[in-house]
Amino acid sequence: MPAVAVAEAEAEASDRPRRRRRHRVLRRLAVRVPQYVLIILVAASANFALPRLMPGSPIETLLGEDASRLPPEVIAKELADHGLDRPLLDQYGRYLAGLAEGDFGFSFRHRREVSSMLRERLPWTLLLVGTAIVISTILGVALAAFAVWRRGRRRDAASIALFTFLESTPPFWIGLLLLIWFGATLKWLPLFGSVSLDRTTGLERIGDIALHLILPAATLVLASVGATFLLARASLLGVVRDDYVLVARAKGLKERTIAVRHALPAASLPIATSVLLRVGGLAGGAVIVERVFSYRGVGTMMLEASLSRDYPVLQGGLFVLTAVVVGVNLLGDLLYPRLDPRVRR
Amino acid sequence: MKRGRRTSRTSRTLTIVGAVVLAVFGLLAAFGAALAPYEAGERAGRPFLEPSADHLLGTDDVGHDILSELMGGARVSLAIGLAAAAVAIVAGGLVGALAGYRRGAVDAALMRTVDLALVVPTIPLLIVLASYLERGMRSQILVVAVLLWAEPARIVRSQVLSVRERRYVLAAKTFGARGPYLLRRHVVPAVTPLLIAQFVRVVSIAILFEVALSFVGLGDPVRRSWGSMIQFATDRGAFLTGAWKWWIVPPGLCVAFVVCAFAFIGLSLEERVDRRLVRSTGT
Repeated sequence: MPAVAVAEAEAEASDRPRRRRRHRVLRRLAVRVPQYVLIILVAASANFALPRLMPGSPIETLLGEDASRLPPEVIAKELADHGLDRPLLDQYGRYLAGLAEGDFGFSFRHRREVSSMLRERLPWTLLLVGTAIVISTILGVALAAFAVWRRGRRRDAASIALFTFLESTPPFWIGLLLLIWFGATLKWLPLFGSVSLDRTTGLERIGDIALHLILPAATLVLASVGATFLLARASLLGVVRDDYVLVARAKGLKERTIAVRHALPAASLPIATSVLLRVGGLAGGAVIVERVFSYRGVGTMMLEASLSRDYPVLQGGLFVLTAVVVGVNLLGDLLYPRLDPRVRR
Repeated sequence: MKRGRRTSRTSRTLTIVGAVVLAVFGLLAAFGAALAPYEAGERAGRPFLEPSADHLLGTDDVGHDILSELMGGARVSLAIGLAAAAVAIVAGGLVGALAGYRRGAVDAALMRTVDLALVVPTIPLLIVLASYLERGMRSQILVVAVLLWAEPARIVRSQVLSVRERRYVLAAKTFGARGPYLLRRHVVPAVTPLLIAQFVRVVSIAILFEVALSFVGLGDPVRRSWGSMIQFATDRGAFLTGAWKWWIVPPGLCVAFVVCAFAFIGLSLEERVDRRLVRSTGT
């Protein structure tokens, strides 16, 4: 057979599974994407409905707590300005149209667009949560692999107990203790904020941001590494009894090679799924942890808003965080087939 | 075989540890007010006292005895955690049972709602809901329950679906057994252990949520819980002085012990339920 034909045949053979994979991804997306759109729509609608369902005048929840003390003609004008005198369905349509253009309304307290506040805050939260999830996943899986390969009854019980205890500790409390120890007592790390106020540039600024990131990220890692450990341990335990691990061992492979090349890839699917599913929980935990460190993310913004009942800011924050979680889930759907060896072949 | 024994010994230890811790805190919650050295809200000494024989954990910024507050906080945190979990389990159980029983369109609609509730980030939603409602114990219970009903609903649904396909249920049906009888005789006994395990799990999450909510100032403004103790301590700058050792550390440890005790018991309950599931599907 001429060399060109062989190459073509090989190319076709290697192309076929790829096409099949793409097909599966598309089918999966066809089911998931409408669900995600629905979730976003419901979250948006809840934000629309909540202030209108709550007891008391919508003016208070939409214009701020002091609004009802204003003279009636001012209130009427404000209502008209915000389109609140129109029929509900009309209001809803305008609300959704505004949201599609990135209009999240206007903060009562800060007298500025919620969307511009979000643009300022979201990157910090993403940086914090992203750093924490990468580190806690690597750490959790590594510890689990170690625990599974060196297992014994005592050690099993101790590790389960330890990580369950870590899971049971309020994350913000861990954060406080870290802050007290490394910030206030040893004075190694900054006490608050996400970046120093004095204007630094370039490398210095990056170093400064990293320095501010250490404590909040460490807090989130400590708070979430237990769940990763327990899950990774369970799925690795399921794998190590499989035949191919026995075969690998019979071939005389080193234990570490078996762990890294055979067991971990097989166990990675449930781990990856759970990591992606937990992004939501971690983003939520970050909200509280941000407040401990006065980190300038969405969470601190929402908590400040909750105390002054600045509803548009609260709703904008919730909406954006929901969108991030949905986005991560979508990413998971796209990556899933790449991790699943049965589809990859 | 060998493995089954090994895990069950571990889980027995965990259960005993959990039960002992829970018993201690349960007693504290029930009789803490009577056992505490000082009345709640009593100005027992000068502000910011360090620990001494009179005040084992010192006093706070207005002279409340911190140990007495800690003992009182047990009741608030446990009560809210248990009540919220009860509401969540009942609601989730009903939704799950309905979805599994009716199937079809009802099932699809309910389960899409469950998916939705599972995706929305919980703590941000907790904050938004809590800001809309009046601050107080009842709304705290409600808000926490709203966030936790979805997982039990999904688990109950799949259990109901699997029970209705089992041979003994089909056999009972061919003998003419009808809805209420099947429910009482077969569905409820199959679902109850799952619900109990879920309840224990949910309590531990609910307590953590309550503590977080109180810590950020969205809790009950009147009753002092472990979360609001930590909040007050940080707001009064307890970490700049040495006061954090007796003001911030103890309430956090109490939360961790209680939540961990529930988690331990939940772990072994789940394991036991799992084994029953394996047995009943295996035969």
